Amino acid sequence: MINPDWLWGLAGGLMIGTAGALYLLINGRVMGASGIIGGLIDGSARRSWAERSTFIAALIAVPMALLPAFPGAATHLTGNIWVIAVAGLLVGIGTRLANGCTSGHGVCGISRLSPRGLLATVTFILAGALLLAVLRHALGWI
Amino acid sequence: MRLVFAALAGGMFGAGLLVSGMVDTLKVQGWLDVFGAWDPTLAFVMGGAILPMAFAWRLAARRPRSWLGTAFPAPSSPEIGRELVAGSVLFGMGWALAGLCPGPALASLTFGGSGGLIFLFAMLLGMVITPALRRQLFSGTNFSGTNLGPDPDRTAQPNTGPRSRAISGPSSGTTRMDIRPLTSRYAVSPQIELADLAAIKAAGFTTVIDNRPDAEIPPALHATPMRATAEALGLTFINNPVISGGLTEANIAAQSAAAAASTGPVFAYCASGNRSSVVWALMNAAKLDADTLINTAARYGYTLEHLRGQLADRAAKS
Repeated sequence: MINPDWLWGLAGGLMIGTAGALYLLINGRVMGASGIIGGLIDGSARRSWAERSTFIAALIAVPMALLPAFPGAATHLTGNIWVIAVAGLLVGIGTRLANGCTSGHGVCGISRLSPRGLLATVTFILAGALLLAVLRHALGWI
Repeated sequence: MRLVFAALAGGMFGAGLLVSGMVDTLKVQGWLDVFGAWDPTLAFVMGGAILPMAFAWRLAARRPRSWLGTAFPAPSSPEIGRELVAGSVLFGMGWALAGLCPGPALASLTFGGSGGLIFLFAMLLGMVITPALRRQLFSGTNFSGTNLGPDPDRTAQPNTGPRSRAISGPSSGTTRMDIRPLTSRYAVSPQIELADLAAIKAAGFTTVIDNRPDAEIPPALHATPMRATAEALGLTFINNPVISGGLTEANIAAQSAAAAASTGPVFAYCASGNRSSVVWALMNAAKLDADTLINTAARYGYTLEHLRGQLADRAAKS
């Protein structure tokens, strides 16, 4: 029996990949969330700010519009604001240093068999799994 | 048109994150929680996303440009730097702590409550301070060899000083090199001789890049003897032959990676230094604007005006 969550995951994944394929083939760009935001933040995207802003606006607005169709959707984010703040900082710094996140390195990098993308993806999954193992199972903190 | 498709891609990305359940931090943490109730959903999402993307990369490889005329992203750089690994470790830790990464953080912004806003704010703050942090932590490496993210902070500014440094050839005194430092980290030069390498070393360069195919020159100047002499002096020698008029993306990636890996200033030569300058301009298109690149090269006698369109394309895709 296949867990329906896995099928939703596969369907959503296909949509994400199709979005990335469109962005690559039509706009000629790599669909990496951290890169698209980061370029706006550090001012390195002088020429493409409108394109990036539009992408981000749609990325925020479309899930909002679709939310009524997914009544079960929730982030279940921890209520501990210190954990959230530290996590956010680490994600911001880490993705800019590594030049990519789950979408840029994970989806776009692996799909072109980029050594950097593969290494980054393996590294962030291992680092995350290790931290969770320590914090949750060894220390029982989160 | 470009904005229409940016909206379409962004919207479909957001919808995909919602449909796949990746906006749910418990699913992401479930994937990372190998010792707990492990949830493989993320693997299905990644698999589903990689399929169309792999197809897209194959299509892109067969076309010169994207549908809207932008050049495709440069081939993935082979450079594996400390920043890639260190950054990925930090990102992985943050990702596991909250169960959010940048895409889902944005996609869930309107229903993620105040926690989601705090996360986004902290993430943006992290992105803002990264350039300063990078200077502190990784000041030893200069050129970023990566293609995905331009970083003006790490690019040495083009020199505005004297036209060139002429250094007398050692011992024989017969050769006079003409070192043209485009930046404090990257100089170009016409063809050198074996005897010049000691002076190059003495001038502080740590990497020598040969951009001239062996077929153009007598055997005494081929890459093999050059490499032997350079490496005996402790210089890093990179052979990256550029065929005149036949510059490839691989040439640019190799030059960029060599510059990024170099611990000190880079010395690149070809017949006149022109090809070494062209490669330099193209590999820095994302970091410096076309005028700066063209004017810098022009100060040393290299005309790169014909590259203006290419430079703009490369900058635009960054």
